[in-house]
Order: sequence, then structure tokens, then C-alpha cells
Amino acid sequence: MKRRSAIKNLLIIAGGIAILPACSTENGKASIQLSNLSINGDQEALLAEIAEAIIPAGDTQGAKDLNLHLFVLKMVDDCHPEEEQKQFLKGLDQFNDLSNQKFSKTFMKADIKERQELLATLDATQPHSQDVEAFYKITKRRVIQGFLNSKYVMTDLKQYELIPGRYNGYFPVN
Amino acid sequence: MSNLNIDSVKARTFDAIVIGSGISGGWAAKELTEKGLKTLVLERGKDVKHVVDYPTTNMYPYEFDHRGEVPLAIQQAAPIANRCYAFREDAMHFFVKDKEHPYIQEKPFDWIRGYQVGGKSLLWARQTQRWSDFDFEGPGRDGFAVDWPIRYKDIAPWYTYVEKFAGIAGNKDGLKELPDGDFLPGYPLNAVEDYFKQVLSTRYGGSRHVVSARCAHLSKPNQIHIDQGRVQCQNRILCQRGCPFGGYFSSNSSTLPWAEKTGNLTLRPFSVVHSVLYDEEKGKATGVKVIDANTKEEIDFYAKVIFVNAAALNTNLILLNSVSNRFPNGLGNDNGLLGKFVAFHNYSARISAEYDGLKEYKTDGRNPAGGGYIPRFRNILKQETNFLRGYAAGFSAHRSMDRDLSKIGNDLKNELLNPVLGPWRVGSHMMGETIPKEESYVALETNKQDEWGMPLLKISMDYDDNDVKMKADYIEQLTEMFTEAGFTNITPNTASQAPGLDIHEMGGVRMGNDPKTSLLNKWNQLHQCSNVFVTDGACMTSTSTQNPSLTYMAFAARSVDYAVNEMKKNNL
Repeated sequence: MKRRSAIKNLLIIAGGIAILPACSTENGKASIQLSNLSINGDQEALLAEIAEAIIPAGDTQGAKDLNLHLFVLKMVDDCHPEEEQKQFLKGLDQFNDLSNQKFSKTFMKADIKERQELLATLDATQPHSQDVEAFYKITKRRVIQGFLNSKYVMTDLKQYELIPGRYNGYFPVN
Repeated sequence: MSNLNIDSVKARTFDAIVIGSGISGGWAAKELTEKGLKTLVLERGKDVKHVVDYPTTNMYPYEFDHRGEVPLAIQQAAPIANRCYAFREDAMHFFVKDKEHPYIQEKPFDWIRGYQVGGKSLLWARQTQRWSDFDFEGPGRDGFAVDWPIRYKDIAPWYTYVEKFAGIAGNKDGLKELPDGDFLPGYPLNAVEDYFKQVLSTRYGGSRHVVSARCAHLSKPNQIHIDQGRVQCQNRILCQRGCPFGGYFSSNSSTLPWAEKTGNLTLRPFSVVHSVLYDEEKGKATGVKVIDANTKEEIDFYAKVIFVNAAALNTNLILLNSVSNRFPNGLGNDNGLLGKFVAFHNYSARISAEYDGLKEYKTDGRNPAGGGYIPRFRNILKQETNFLRGYAAGFSAHRSMDRDLSKIGNDLKNELLNPVLGPWRVGSHMMGETIPKEESYVALETNKQDEWGMPLLKISMDYDDNDVKMKADYIEQLTEMFTEAGFTNITPNTASQAPGLDIHEMGGVRMGNDPKTSLLNKWNQLHQCSNVFVTDGACMTSTSTQNPSLTYMAFAARSVDYAVNEMKKNNL
């Protein structure tokens, strides 16, 4: 909650987009204004950790640095049908159970290795609930999208060219 | 309007009126104003000024709230436009909200509309192939529709005329079925597109070709383009946002500013044209009735000559709605054929594959032309298949990037930041000629009106047996051609799409020699109302396999030239 307090009343840059924070973060509510999703602070924190496990910080910035969890929330809120929004919320809530089953502790308490091990089992399509599957599929896709399309990646790590000014159909590959 | 005084009528009187500001209306406006006519251009939507009104044009991907995706609520308000490839977060403001502009689909028809100054010329795919005599002679030879009243030689000089001004990139390919034009340098094919071209040339004895697609981009501008305020295309391929360089041709970047410079242009946005006014004593049209889109007020404007360029189906709607004692069924519609014999292009088949060779190359930068173009190769010299006519096809190749997205953590991050080059991926789509038929029509539903009191348009056209056979042949032939080239994972996609999504709807006010069987003569002039001209998609007698826009431009310029000469002779 400390981090959220610190950024209260500031514009949040989620994967490069400015999002106006909601006023009441201290009451355990989400830090961004959403129209359709109802997300509390704990859920938001959990989503942030899941996103960070998918793309962690290291030599370069990771999901939390880029607020990719907020990007996920914005996309789910604006671009997904109601049914998927419901699945997303249910799946998110089941994540701690899943972690409890596997490691006898919540996802929040699991260490990064355990977290990534859990996610890897989801990628390998181990049996789990449909809601978790839907939640994870959406989240991973949106985290990746937010990462690749962030200002940080598009300017600091890979150069996106708005104006290429050229075309070569026989560019030699080294 | 009885309380209006003489001065007001004078202020509403022009030499010429052009209905519509899209690709053909823009050309009519340019030609009329350059020839000294005070011209009123009516546009039903908002104004879009070049550069100034391109709100997304310089935005980076990360500056879009949804990274290009259209939020669900906006998709739901535009369920039809949403099917169009260009309806994305960066350009969705250039499409109509379908719910505000209802129409009746007697058969499924995705009517894609851009109501604004410039119309769909802001959004088009910029392909500009000339038609040939194989196209103009088609209906006569194959016995459908009616014979075109013109031949290639009639329109060829006008193709040259519009190409020089618009700026068309292309190569001289020397193909009779795809006549060469007055081109700027063509965009080159890439390694695999070139390879496929060679394969076809060898395997089919010079009867099947891949050429660089010809497109309305300034690959190397001439003085006439600089004079328009346009500069070289910068290969952004963000054209649908509107181009700050004027790198591609649109009404907004080219014809309308040019018309404005003459001092003879009056542009009136938010003007929904209700009908063309007809004076029975004079036996001519005298003007148009407009409904102000914002105030809903009716206003009449007057002119000596009227160009109807509202885009194919809306041109039909306006003429059908232009009723008088003399023309109870719509202006110039003595033969009852107005709205009939509409057709479209069949885009309902695609095919993709991979190529494992030429891995020493990739592409760098972006190709505005989009790649290669396969001109029609079926039934050209004579009928040789179990279907009439044929299809052109797009062909393009790109080097894929492989990323293993099943990874997690640092491994995933590494995949994302350091993708490896995969095989070349190739793809093609068909563009089939469909046959205009009497049972394919648009008509008015007078019991239902839109917000502006206009009757709704009923649309009824569909694929027929000929289209089904042609589509099967496309898949068969392209599969064979891809196989010959050693492509692998050849994957046909025959998922149909409703007519309309091709955005090549044509006809309803077709040209022809005989007033009994056509609406327009060889000058795009209504047989029955000599001072009304139609030079947009509505005038088309048949659909060809080539993209039609360049032909609309040429018709508009040619027709204005004729109209102004006739006015000078006091014949209009």
C-alpha cells in the first residue's frame, strides 16, 4: 500500500499511457479508474506480482516498473466482453488457492522461483480451472503486449521507427 | 424557402455543384474550379483539413490508450465498420458510427462509409491499376450487363492526366491486361516476391505475372506534387491516419487544396444532400436540396451543372430520392434501371504459406505498395473456364520473426527482446470480378427514415454460382503456383465475407450507349437530364478485376472537361 500511496494523485504511466488514478487508494481500492471491473487493492497487488513474474526486472525494467498490471486492467476493462471480464476476476481470485495447493502458501508469499514455476505449469496446460486458464491467457498476452508496446522498450531497448523513409526488399542477413 | 430574398438566392447560386468530397468529388471540384467555375462542394460529414485534422498522425504505438485496439463499446456502436481492416484506434474517427446511419440489408452487406471531407480517400488502400480493353470489352464479349460506351483509348489520356497529378508509383510492365501509365518510380519487389515472379514466368510461359503493385504514393515527387505541398512518401504505412507529408493521394492532401487555391471553391461540410432539384419547364436540374446535418434545416442551392459523387450507393440513394412529376421514380430513371445492376469485388478467398529459401535476406523499412500484384490471367483472350471473367490477386512476402511465448520470466523477456528470424511468410488474396445483374439492386425504403429524414437504403446483392466457381479456381491455381515455387504449409482460407467489405461496390447508375438500358451516356451524363453527371462508382457498367478508384478519377476529369465545353457551347 505504501507504493500506491506514494503515487496517489499522480498520473500513472501504465506501459506508457497516462491513467488518472482513482481518489481512494487508501481504502484498499484499485489505483486506477475502471468502468466495468471492480478491483480492490489486494487484487491489484496480486496482479502486479503475477505480471512481474511473467516479465521481471533485471538488467532492464520489468512489469512493475512499467505498470503493466495497470495496462492489463485497462485493456480488460475496455476491450474484453463481460464474460471474459468475469472469468478474469474469478481466475485472479483463484490464483492464491492454486498457489496454496502447490506450495502451501499464497502467491504473494511464494518466492519468485515458485511463482514462475506455477506460471510455467499453466503454460504447459496442466489441468486447472477454466477461469484460471482464461485469466492467465489474457494476463500473459496483455503483459507481453504492454511490454513490447511500451515507450521504454520502443525507445530505450528497440528502436520503433515512426518514419522509416526507406524500403529494401533484399536486406542482407548477417 | 418562400421567405428568402433574392440576395439569399444569389448567395446560394453557383456555376457548379459537386455532391461529395471523396476521391471522385475532389477531382470534379479541382477540374471545375481550375476551369473558372464557381463551385460548391457539399459534404455530409465534418471538415477534415489536411494535416490539421489528422489527430493521430504522429502518434507512437505507446501513445494509443489501447495500443491500436478499438474499445468494445466503440466496436459495438460500429458493428459493420468494425469488420474493416482499417477500423483501428488510430483511424476509427474516420468511419461512420453505424448506429447513426442505418440501412436495410435485404442480403448481408457490409457498407463501409467515411462521412467527412475527403471521404474514404483518407482511408483507401491506394492501389491504382489501370483498366484495359479486356475489362471494357468484357460485358459485350461475355454477354452480361450492357456494353461499355467507351473503350480504353477513350479514357487512356485521362488516366495519364490524373496519374501525373495524383502521383502513381509503378513500373512499365508491358502487359496488355494491365496497361502501363505515367508513373513515378515503382516500389521494388522483395527477394521472395521477385523469386515468385520468376517462378511464374518460367512455369507459365509468360502468361502469369507478378508486378509491383501500382499505388498512389510519391516515390519521387515531381514539381506538380511539390506545388501541391506534398513531399516524398516516407514509408510510414500509417496512411489511414492521414499523411502529414501528403505522401499518398487523398482529396484532402491534393485536389481540394488545389481547388481552394483557385478562389472558386466553396466547401460546405455537414450538408446531407436530400435530392437534385429538377425544373420541368427547363427540362434540367437547377440545384440540390440540402439538409444541414446539425440544424436539420432545409436549404436549396442552385447551379448550372451538378456532379453527383456521393460514393456509389449514396449516389444511387440521392438520385432515387430526386423525384418530380417528370421523374416519379428518381432522376433520369425512365427505364426503371436506376439502382439495379450493382456489383462488387469478390475478396472472399486468401491463401498463405511459408518459404524456407532466401534466408540470406530480410526486408528493411516498409513498402507503401504492399508488395506484388498478379494481374488477371483467366479468360483474357477467350473463355477457357467454367466461370465468366477472372480475378486479380495481391501477393506479398515478409520475413517472420519467431518468439517462443510459452516461456516465463527472464527467458520470456529474452525471447521478446531478441526474436530470431523465421522463414519467409507469403500471402495472397483474390479480387474477383462479379457480374452486375438486374436482381442485384439498391432501392429506397420510404417508410423508414434516418435522423435527417432521408429514406433508408435497401441493399440486395450476393455471391452467385459464378463467384463460387471462380473462388474455387483461385484457390486451385494459387495452390498450384505456390507448390511450383516450393512454398510449404500452404493454407487456403475460404471464409466468406459479406459483399461490401471489399469497399468496391459499383453500379446502379450505369453507363451505356442506349438510354433504354442505361442511365448515363459515354460522358457520364444522365441520358434524361443533361446537366447532371455521375463519375463515382455508381457509373460503372461492370467491375473488372482492377481496383476502381483511378478509373473514377479519370472519369471525373474527363467528364468535367466535356461538361465545361458543352457549357461554353450553351448546350447545358
